[in-house]
Amino acid sequence: MKLENTKAQMRKGVLEYCILLVLDGEPLYASNIIQALKEAKMIVVEGTLYPLLTRLKNAGLLAYRWEESTQGPPRKYYELTDKGRKFLTELEGSWAELVDAVGKIRKSRA
Amino acid sequence: MKKTFTINISGTIFHIEEDAYEVLQKYLVKLKNHFGSEEEGKEILADIEARIAEIFMDKSSDEKNVITLERVEEVISTMGTPEDFVEEEGGEEEVYTSSTKRKRRLYRDPEHRVVGGVCGGLGAYFNMDPVILRIIFVVLLIVTSIVPALLAYLVLWIAVPKAVTTAQRLEMRGQEATVKNIEKSIREEVKEVKESYKKFKESETYAKGKKKVEGAGEVTFSVFKLLLKVFVVIVGVVLIISGFFGLLGLISSLAIGHSLVQGWPMIWSPEINLPDFLNYLVEPGAVKLGIISIGFLAGIPLLAMLYVGSKLVFRYKSNNTAIGLSLVGVWLIALITLVTVSGSQVGNFKNQASVVESTTIDCDSCQTLYLKLAEDRYKGYAAHGWDLNKLKVVEVENGRVILGNPRLDVEKASGNSFLVTVKKFSRGRTRETARDHAEDLIYRFQQQDSVLFFEPYFYLEEGDKWRDQEVQITVKAPEGGILFFGEDMLDIIYDIENVTNTWDGDMVGKYWEMKPEGLTLKGAEALPETMQDSIPAKIE
Repeated sequence: MKLENTKAQMRKGVLEYCILLVLDGEPLYASNIIQALKEAKMIVVEGTLYPLLTRLKNAGLLAYRWEESTQGPPRKYYELTDKGRKFLTELEGSWAELVDAVGKIRKSRA
Repeated sequence: MKKTFTINISGTIFHIEEDAYEVLQKYLVKLKNHFGSEEEGKEILADIEARIAEIFMDKSSDEKNVITLERVEEVISTMGTPEDFVEEEGGEEEVYTSSTKRKRRLYRDPEHRVVGGVCGGLGAYFNMDPVILRIIFVVLLIVTSIVPALLAYLVLWIAVPKAVTTAQRLEMRGQEATVKNIEKSIREEVKEVKESYKKFKESETYAKGKKKVEGAGEVTFSVFKLLLKVFVVIVGVVLIISGFFGLLGLISSLAIGHSLVQGWPMIWSPEINLPDFLNYLVEPGAVKLGIISIGFLAGIPLLAMLYVGSKLVFRYKSNNTAIGLSLVGVWLIALITLVTVSGSQVGNFKNQASVVESTTIDCDSCQTLYLKLAEDRYKGYAAHGWDLNKLKVVEVENGRVILGNPRLDVEKASGNSFLVTVKKFSRGRTRETARDHAEDLIYRFQQQDSVLFFEPYFYLEEGDKWRDQEVQITVKAPEGGILFFGEDMLDIIYDIENVTNTWDGDMVGKYWEMKPEGLTLKGAEALPETMQDSIPAKIE
């Protein structure tokens, strides 16, 4: 078992959660999302984000609209749908439970 | 000095150096293969391209506006390669794809292969254990005496692409092509048809004119699309089946000499066995060459049928132009060879020659000559199924003989006695060979007192070739001579001239007298009783 693999698996599980979190305020376009995720070291290569965005969109959790940009081509601005917000609320709950569970196990070991 | 190109990425124009262009091009193709060419893949790729354009634009403001190799490499490491995505996503990709699952395509499976991965790929396609398919294949190999099944395997090996990229591996195990799914996809089509019909109706109520026409067009188009899909699969299956059994028939007919599937009903196969057939026509060397050419000539279209059929049914992508073109080449060569071979064989028919043997029928009391047919010595033997310009082939104990029907005519003799001439014709490359062939012909008749027994056939010995041989028998009757034609003579008499212009069928069973003006009906008296059963044993 490779450490890198396990790390990637861990990240993957929460990557979707993080994307939804980032979008939980104002609509953002891909570069903004990438910036946020990169700063938090959630992704290494940018290419990972695009398939995820498309899949979340196809699952009905995200929607996008085109917006003209002052420099260059129009940009795709993503935002949460109602379904996406509900999904996020549930994920928030699961995340809290997960952190709690891991915390308990770590404590009991110590 | 470096060459630069102008390219358009996501609607923005960039100048790019040649080497950088090549690397970028390769990278984009790789991404395309990874994400697949379905709707979802296209969208992802478009997003990525837009991002690449953005990065290039950010930096081209401070540099000289030309994209270099270093910058392309920088972008690639920022965006990551397909391997990176798979790793970051944890290798598990089918989370949200269930709703937009890819259509299943046939690929060869390089990870579950024994030979070419064909059975592995088919196993993935049909959701079966490839071992079962392998067993079926081995059984097919044995049943079809190896070659046809092997050829079918090779066609698939060459034509079906190997699943190399992640996208292809996903497609290989994509949405199942089971009956249920086919039903589902047809139902979806039907729904689509219904919807567009509904749309059409709505448009009829709300908007008139142009929209109506468009709506009608849409409905027809979807109905047409649905029918076409069903039709294509049916055609594909028919092509596969007929291609396979055609090959089976062709190969067994060529190699074993008799068709293996001949006995099976409902299955098409060539009825004649070519080597056999050709042996009677052409020289031994030419037989082999001819058979090989015929094999390619018929086999390549059959292989093409298999290929096209399997492609229609399984919808795999393939790109084998070189193989296709070389097969067309081989086919043309085979055609030319066959034409040349037959051309050289036609020479064997260039000259005609004949040999005549005359026999005087000498018997003192013969004023009347009775003409009868001798016993058919080949009656009990099996005849081959084919008929070659009135010749037929019969199996006998020690081989085969070719039989032909002679023709018998009656003429006036110049002398005072009956005369029978047997003229044998044949063709050959030269007059001499034609005459040799004619002499090889065997035809016999026998005299017993006043009765002449004619064999119903002339024949060629085993090994003799067919050279359009003919035998013409002429019975020459002196003036005042009387002939009686037995009923069975109808088999060989041919358009005998007579004064009343009586048809051959009405000439038999009657007495005819040779008068100065020609053959004249003498009376319909019955055959004398002593003659009734005077059929001799076989002429030896």
